[in-house]
Amino acid sequence: MAVSVGEAVSAGPAGDRTPPARRFGGRGRSVLEVVLLAVLAVVMLFPALWMIETSIKENRDVYAIPAKFFDFTVTMDHFRDVFVASGGTRSALSVSFLNSVVVAGVSTVLATVLGVPAAWAYSRFAVRAKKDQLFFILSTRFMPPVVVVIPIFLMYRQVGLIDTKLGLILIYAAFNVPFTIWMMKGFVDEVPAEYEDAAMLDGYTRLQAFWKFTLPLLLPGIAATAVFALIFSWNEFVFAIFLTSSDTVRTAPPAIAGLIGGTTVDWGLVAAASVVFALPVLVFAYLVRRHLVAGVTLGAVRR
Amino acid sequence: MRYPQRTGRLYVPRRKARLATAAVLVATTLAACGGGQDGGAEAGAPKAPATIPELTKDPLTLSFIWFDWPPAHALEDFANAEYAKERSNVTVKVNTVPNANWHDAMFTQFAARKTDFDIPILDSQHIGEAVTNGNILDITDFVQKNIDVKAYNPYLLAAYGQFPQAETGKRDENAKLYGLPLLGDTWTMIYRKDLIGDKPPQTWDEMISVAEKCQADNPGVSGLAFHQANGSDAAAVTYNTVNGVYGGNLWDPKTRKIDGVLNDAAGQEAMEVLVNKMKPLTAKGSGNWFIDEVNAAVAQGKACIAFNWIAASGGLLDPKQSTLGTTREQILDKLGFATLPSQKTNLVPLGGMGMHVSAYSAKANQAEALNFMKWFERPDIQKKWAAAGGVPARTDALESPEFLNAGPFNKVYADSVPRMRDMWNVPEYARLVDIENTNVNAALNGAKQPKAALDDIAREQQGVLDSSGRKGGGGL
Amino acid sequence: MSDPVPSVIDHPGRAASAAPPAPGRSSRLSDRLLAVAFTSPALLLLLAMSVFPLLWALYLSFTDYSATRGGPAAFVGLENYTAILTSAQVRLRALTTLIYVVGAVALQTVLGFSIAYLISRRTHGRGLLTTLFLVPMMLSPVVVGLFWRFMLDAQFGVINSMLGSLGLGQVEWLTRQRTALISLIVVDTWQWTPFIMLIALAGLTAVPKYLYEAASIDRASEWFRFRTITLPLVWPLLLIAVLFRAIEAFRLFDLVYILTSGGPGVSTETLSFHVYKVAFLGFNTGTASAYGILMVVIVIVLTQLYLRYLNKLKED
Repeated sequence: MAVSVGEAVSAGPAGDRTPPARRFGGRGRSVLEVVLLAVLAVVMLFPALWMIETSIKENRDVYAIPAKFFDFTVTMDHFRDVFVASGGTRSALSVSFLNSVVVAGVSTVLATVLGVPAAWAYSRFAVRAKKDQLFFILSTRFMPPVVVVIPIFLMYRQVGLIDTKLGLILIYAAFNVPFTIWMMKGFVDEVPAEYEDAAMLDGYTRLQAFWKFTLPLLLPGIAATAVFALIFSWNEFVFAIFLTSSDTVRTAPPAIAGLIGGTTVDWGLVAAASVVFALPVLVFAYLVRRHLVAGVTLGAVRR
Repeated sequence: MRYPQRTGRLYVPRRKARLATAAVLVATTLAACGGGQDGGAEAGAPKAPATIPELTKDPLTLSFIWFDWPPAHALEDFANAEYAKERSNVTVKVNTVPNANWHDAMFTQFAARKTDFDIPILDSQHIGEAVTNGNILDITDFVQKNIDVKAYNPYLLAAYGQFPQAETGKRDENAKLYGLPLLGDTWTMIYRKDLIGDKPPQTWDEMISVAEKCQADNPGVSGLAFHQANGSDAAAVTYNTVNGVYGGNLWDPKTRKIDGVLNDAAGQEAMEVLVNKMKPLTAKGSGNWFIDEVNAAVAQGKACIAFNWIAASGGLLDPKQSTLGTTREQILDKLGFATLPSQKTNLVPLGGMGMHVSAYSAKANQAEALNFMKWFERPDIQKKWAAAGGVPARTDALESPEFLNAGPFNKVYADSVPRMRDMWNVPEYARLVDIENTNVNAALNGAKQPKAALDDIAREQQGVLDSSGRKGGGGL
Repeated sequence: MSDPVPSVIDHPGRAASAAPPAPGRSSRLSDRLLAVAFTSPALLLLLAMSVFPLLWALYLSFTDYSATRGGPAAFVGLENYTAILTSAQVRLRALTTLIYVVGAVALQTVLGFSIAYLISRRTHGRGLLTTLFLVPMMLSPVVVGLFWRFMLDAQFGVINSMLGSLGLGQVEWLTRQRTALISLIVVDTWQWTPFIMLIALAGLTAVPKYLYEAASIDRASEWFRFRTITLPLVWPLLLIAVLFRAIEAFRLFDLVYILTSGGPGVSTETLSFHVYKVAFLGFNTGTASAYGILMVVIVIVLTQLYLRYLNKLKED
């Protein structure tokens, strides 16, 4: 059952499905398919490439018509501007990146610490109304954020969590816990319960058995789950823009959105900030590529 | 298959228990809400003291909130350089938010009854909402005692501080004040001297025909560029400006009537001119343009005549952003700045913002905020603010060489002051402007006929003003 | 992998039997304690951050409460709900949302499946191809929205610049009623086609090859094999992917906020965007809460119906 994407996309056993095709269109058709795929790949990747190109162009060239694809002066100024303000001090953008690291990091840790034991319990024990509990947990993720943000706002107002990192951390953790439970439950299910039973026969308590034998086996799964939680918190925009307002709390997505709507738009800076902001996510996504399917479907579809 | 079949039906009785839990939760919620809704019940704004209380000697950060644009950074630099000379223990911090989020960011904090800013910089039309909700201090007594009101054009004081709103061009001396001017602003006409000549068009009709000719003579350059976006107050200000110039009225404040006033003959004519005469002279796809896009079009040499806020025009003189020249002088050889043409009237839109004191910041910060405001309105400081790139409000500062020489558009502002008209300053402002924005934007982009759009604006806005007594469904 | 249908989403309770037979009474008791101790912190967080706010919103939806005006909330019964359900403004947004959801999800399903199918037929470079195709999905909606706005700009955008070079003239991508909604659909499709592709690819590579071998002995036509072997096996998985995308698309807010802010006029305002305006422009918290509750109800009811249909499909 546990076919990972790495396997799914490798040139594995499915490779021998290609030859029969030759009987029909033969080589011509195969070429057509490659061309089609190449065109699609170019179309899908072009915006990302254009973003990278814009980030190294001078602003004068950014607006050039017709667009300059190759003949422009390369500059790294925009990347400097992402981190350094005009006075040589740290830029507001770099502060927001740091805030994003803190908020995404802590909320992920919190979601993992709460979610992993719960996933283990749901997998191992006959918890009452388990099906209902699990569906309820999943359904909390279906709520439109714009709707949730209103009562969350009212609640935070009462407890003084508006415009605080803690407020963002808590709401992100709450959004990541369901996902962590669902995805981790799949990983726990794959570890045979017999390991723990055997350990308990040796005199360990159930808790010790979990801690000493099951948890180490779950570590790769925990890492994958945590990365997805991290990506969610990292990219989140709606809660961030409505629950925070000060530079010291604001995370990167609203900060990047704030780069437009002044008096001039520095598209080079927007592009450079976007590239810097996207890099960690792309690296993380690459690291957990084997679990992508489970990760993007809250673990509901497992391969 | 990993999961052997087992039905979930075994647990049915448990559902009742969960229902009970839910009921308890509802009860708790109700209790919590009941407790949470006091505090804002008293109507109107709390009063600031007439004299500034004793100021603290401890380090203090005086925080502002504004949207992210050059004047915000100029203010922070200016205040830290100059105010610190008198109050060395004070640091000034200007928090900035995206323009589109500006109203929401301030008023969600007001709603939270806790603000991380001491001095909100409200748009002039936000005052009504803030005063009605008790979010900012009533500074009438403070102004009377500390500010020389004679030194200002009365309408500037009224527009950035008075509520209820003053009549256009006047100030009601018995009305209460809730703010003082921070940054004055209005539209300027930016025109290409090299394309249409040194003399700017004087009437609106002339302006349109000059733009038409310029566009025909210069392929690739469009005749006009102005705000058309449906966010912020972009398209609304554009229509309101044309409406004013063609002798229209936005509403009758005494009877609170919009329907029948806004869409009268003058209003219809203004909409006709905007959609059928001005819009065809703009660049294709400019229907979502706001400040920065108009600036970009001018800097790229793509517009003969453009309209923009003066406070947002500084970037046009930056050779790094411009294709019009490699020095400021070269750019100024091509760009001219003029007051708006007139037609039936000579009204121009009032922009800019005032500073106010948050009702929720600490007493020491409120005292410091009042002291800052008093300091800021001093004649010498107003001139320094002008020299630093700001737009002052005191008449003496507006007439000073420091101001008039600081930028090519500053004379435009000084000349425009007696011609200004503001929008409605009522608690429902945010919704009124949204209705106008979306409908004018729809008319400009062919999603609605001009007349239908104007009638819709009048009808929907009237609905908002009249809806205070209605039950349920408010805001739809 | 004989069964590509996700076996988790519809029967989450089945794993119960994975629990070992409890050896003794005391151990079962401690197991129960352990289960409670391990699940309750997570459930408490969800109760506090998801359920409690939702119940609060439910309560407010029957009042005329405003978050800024303060003062006590007066009960208005079902007035908010009737106002929303009878409002022409809401119907307009519902229609826009419907067109957007159907258009975007259909487009990305077709495209995503096609790409997956093409990739699954390649022998070389599949890992690299898949990884490259996934990039859009990993970007923040803010980055996607901002950058597409830049690219779709009628005057300075690269898309029109390329169309101009081809002699095709300028298209007003974001400022005409039809094109603006299409642009929204295109951008969403660009970002989320990889999602469908990923899941379809997982299904396609899992089709057991002996089925194809049997078919090729029968000399069945390729289309026949695709229709009778590939599609039926991948279909259920694709339906799950469609469900996830539809839920996400229904909630869409950030892309509209950044790309068109609802324009021109209100022609790209989705339900989520409208809720935002009701909630934050006039601070009509009661109305906005009712609006939000209705949206949540719609999502949950439609999801349940859809899952029921999926389960039936699986049983057949």
